[in-house]
Amino acid sequence: MKLSYRFEQTSCRLRLDGLPDYSAAQGQDVIGILTGWELSLAGHPALEGKREHLAALMQAVLPYARHLVSGVPRRFGAQDSPVQIQPMEGEASLTSHRVLVRSSQPDTSPLELAFDDAELSDLVRCLDQLRLDPRVQVDFELPAERPLPRREILERIPLRQRLASPLAAMAALAITTSIGLMLPVPRRPAIPSANPAVSPAATEARPEAAVDPVP
Amino acid sequence: MANASLGESSLAQPPLTQRPAGARISRRGLERLDLMLLSVEALDLNGGEAMVWMAAQLGFGELFPNRVELWKRRCYNPLRLACRRGELSEPETDALISLLCALADRLYPMLRQLLSSTEPEAVTGQRWGLFQGRLEELIRERLNPRRGGVQKLLDPAYGPQLRRQLIHGLAFGAGQGGFDRLKASLMDASA
Repeated sequence: MKLSYRFEQTSCRLRLDGLPDYSAAQGQDVIGILTGWELSLAGHPALEGKREHLAALMQAVLPYARHLVSGVPRRFGAQDSPVQIQPMEGEASLTSHRVLVRSSQPDTSPLELAFDDAELSDLVRCLDQLRLDPRVQVDFELPAERPLPRREILERIPLRQRLASPLAAMAALAITTSIGLMLPVPRRPAIPSANPAVSPAATEARPEAAVDPVP
Repeated sequence: MANASLGESSLAQPPLTQRPAGARISRRGLERLDLMLLSVEALDLNGGEAMVWMAAQLGFGELFPNRVELWKRRCYNPLRLACRRGELSEPETDALISLLCALADRLYPMLRQLLSSTEPEAVTGQRWGLFQGRLEELIRERLNPRRGGVQKLLDPAYGPQLRRQLIHGLAFGAGQGGFDRLKASLMDASA
């Protein structure tokens, strides 16, 4: 029996068609085998495809949203992947997003979609509904959400700001060193004369001090 | 900005005990978490009461039975005037994040309006202005103005970007699906 479920969020609607996977002991109302899907986005052409295309969309869009929440959006999806997402270049990098969809049909040029934050958050929420719905038991091979390491967060800080502290420290060290070099070197104490009549007395006094008994 | 109605929430968060155990959220993360809760209050005039009501709806009535208990947990934000030392336990931070996700879900239409580029520019500007006014009022009332982070939030040059980041966090962290995304983001390494 063919099943069809819909997920909606303001400007985004996702329709999922599939069948239960009886070999995996799934219930009658569970989609285990995805036969097709259609994504309608207001103001953009509708997208449709197979399971691997939906998995590619989720694998690109959801990690992108994760990085956007941390303020460090970057490109997701390989060059030959069906879906690629990246921030717009220039000043709109944090407010507009470019999605490139490559068709599996031969002689079809890639489709480029420009999303603003609101449209992207609608799409993300729609995909969230899908991945959390217990009626859909399809493994989309999504990576687990993890905290970003320091090197990825550092990209958020401009290079000039990042280098300011070490450069200030090096300048302070250079100034202190040059001031130190300008100070006169203290004079050495006078070298005892090499008079043989005086030197034995001086050498004799030392052992006495060394063997001075402790009271 | 219109006051969101306290409708029945469709969010049924899974019990926190089912979540994988992980590291605690740093002071920096607690700072962002409280700032996002402050943004919710700036968007919703009745936000303080809505938080307690939502906490009871989500089953956190024992953790946050009243506004004072909620306020005590939020005071772990180092930018607060009445700041508390130490860290929150994982069930407490998880409860605060779940609460934030549920509140953001309730306010999602407002968040979407703020982020949308299809709305008339004048109207969007007015919405952002209203949010900025309310948020700055709350910041001056509750946060320590001598802290650099607070001065940055009130700074006309840095403020808009920071406010947009807070709204981003709320919009992409809204709902049940946003919990893991938001939690992972709050646990990011500090730069």
